[in-house]
Amino acid sequence: MSSVELDPRRDYPLASNRPELLRTPTGKRLDDITMAAVLAGEITAEDLRITPETLRLQAQIADSVGRPQLGQNFRRAAELTALPDEKVLAIYNALRPRAATKQELIDIADDLERGYAATLCARLVREAADVYERRGVLADSGR
Amino acid sequence: MSAANSPAQSAPRQSERTRVLENRPVNLDGFVEEWPEVGMVAMDSPYDPRPSVRVENGVIVEMDGKQRADFDFLDQFIADHAIDVEATERAMALSPVEIAHLLVDPKVSRGEVLAVSCGLTPAALLEVVKTMNVVEMMMALQKMRARRTPANQAHSTSARDNPIQVAADAAEAALRGFRELETTLGVVRYAPLVAIALQVGAQAGKPGALTQCALEEATELELGMRGITAYAETISVYGTEPVFCDGDDTPWSKTFLASAYASRGIKMRFTSGTGSEVQMGYAEGKSMLYLEIRCILVTKGAGVQGLQNGSISCIGVPGAVPAGIRAVLAENLIASTVDLECASGNDQSFSHSDMRRTARLLPQLLPGTDFVCSGYSAVPNYDNMFAGSNLDSEDYDDWNVIQRDLQVDGGLRHVPEAELLAVRNRAARALRGVFAYLDLPPITEKEIEAVTYAHGSNDLPLRDVLEDLKAAQSVMDRGVTGLDIVKGLEAGGFPDIAEALLGVLKQRISGDLLHTSAILTPELTTLSAINDANDYAGPGSGYRPSGERWEEMKRLRHVVSARNPEQELG
Repeated sequence: MSSVELDPRRDYPLASNRPELLRTPTGKRLDDITMAAVLAGEITAEDLRITPETLRLQAQIADSVGRPQLGQNFRRAAELTALPDEKVLAIYNALRPRAATKQELIDIADDLERGYAATLCARLVREAADVYERRGVLADSGR
Repeated sequence: MSAANSPAQSAPRQSERTRVLENRPVNLDGFVEEWPEVGMVAMDSPYDPRPSVRVENGVIVEMDGKQRADFDFLDQFIADHAIDVEATERAMALSPVEIAHLLVDPKVSRGEVLAVSCGLTPAALLEVVKTMNVVEMMMALQKMRARRTPANQAHSTSARDNPIQVAADAAEAALRGFRELETTLGVVRYAPLVAIALQVGAQAGKPGALTQCALEEATELELGMRGITAYAETISVYGTEPVFCDGDDTPWSKTFLASAYASRGIKMRFTSGTGSEVQMGYAEGKSMLYLEIRCILVTKGAGVQGLQNGSISCIGVPGAVPAGIRAVLAENLIASTVDLECASGNDQSFSHSDMRRTARLLPQLLPGTDFVCSGYSAVPNYDNMFAGSNLDSEDYDDWNVIQRDLQVDGGLRHVPEAELLAVRNRAARALRGVFAYLDLPPITEKEIEAVTYAHGSNDLPLRDVLEDLKAAQSVMDRGVTGLDIVKGLEAGGFPDIAEALLGVLKQRISGDLLHTSAILTPELTTLSAINDANDYAGPGSGYRPSGERWEEMKRLRHVVSARNPEQELG
């Protein structure tokens, strides 16, 4: 969790103004991502990703410029950094209309919470399960 | 029957003027009368709900005349996620005219408007814009646009999905000033090669031009995750439940998708537009604009930074009914008024008339929006795989002249022929290097020569499509990423383009580009509604083209020396 207090006018963009706060998921600094390092094979696709800590810093900035929904999106995203790409795509597909039963959605939410501490995403999926039930956009459970 | 009554003789004589008017291009356009019962009405339907809101224990229990138990999924999503419960009763107590005055009056700051707009329901936002004419809407848009500096977006596509063409046209477009470039496909399986070509061309043209490839949602996300594209836009939302479901999504699936993009550090915006619901047959008797406002608020509630709207691919529908183009401006204005980035349409072609397509453009161009076009076609009409655009490559000089005439910044500039040829050639060579490095089908010297001087795909040699498609599949199977393109550019002898692309990919680490209305400058610094917030406050304030940018806008293909009319300025 971030304990840094950010002032958007002074600190944003973070890449220019607060690079010391930024790390890649493998612990590298922005300055470490050089062409020489790429050619030496020291940089992988994993290095070109955002960390949950950075997303929470950006959420703080979004909140402080009056964009709470954007901030919440970044906090959900922070949780999703832990999920592999295939799993993210699978959950997205399950949330499509009539793609999952209520139980399947609840299982996904439980997995998000227990397996990844993704409480905000789990809440979103549970909310979807309830609305889908009320509006008839769940999959038939008898299929 | 007498001869005088025969059909041939009874046809009334037509005036020569009527004959001339009949032959005007505008009469090839389609116009229909309003039919509110099926939603064939722009922004003023007797079936649109009346604004209302009631809050109990911090929850909206009634909205626009509907009780919570009767909310469809859009109502519920908007009530629970988009509308600020703390602000709504105070905001809804103001009359639509009072709110419209806040929007138009330059002495009321953008922030003061946002404090009210965050509490407005869909029907209330509709009532507000219904009190405004187009000039008032433009005044409001000038202030409510999120980013201070306007920008522009281009399409770079090819009727033959020719990657070399896409690269060359992307390079030219970036050099001309576009800060975002979008492509799509005729044959979807070509996507990986074309998306790579767009990325290479963009960085060859001007570092930091961001690229996207419009595809089905899950595929688009995959290309983004791999770093082959830089952002995403074709994430469609709709204004009624049945149409949303027909689009195979819900507000919750789209919200999750938004977070998925952010979790990989990738910029994205949603897409919507007036007319999609009536076109898909489920407008529920509501006006096109009312339904579009629901899309705008779903976007807001999802926590997405921005929206591409302005009817987009349904422009023929609002374009056919009375006040339809006013409604299209109103949707751009409302997106900006609820603090979203707005990529403001002017993309799909909708009129045969040059006058009419210019009139449709000015309401976005004059006040300025975050992206004036969300798809100016950087290719000729026949190569535009988004079904044409309101502006295309034949219009570059007209656009530059209009910018200069009115001193209005539409994001483009005139570029001398020699520079264009050089950058097109270099983009094609850079792509050849990347293709060779990735063991993709070769690009020949003949193709490079042709694309340097080409206008469209008709001017280019044919590719071996089967080989290309096999190679495209192998790009996906082998897990090629943006980093591989960087290495290919370096290996091919294009270290500066490699650096530019690496710089674009590095943006994912910081997430600065995830904020509202973010673009990259050619120096690869993020410019967004945070560090370039719109500060328009009336005459003498806000963004006005000046200094170097204005000098650049003064240059055209043909400008003569005032002192020596025989001499053309370069």
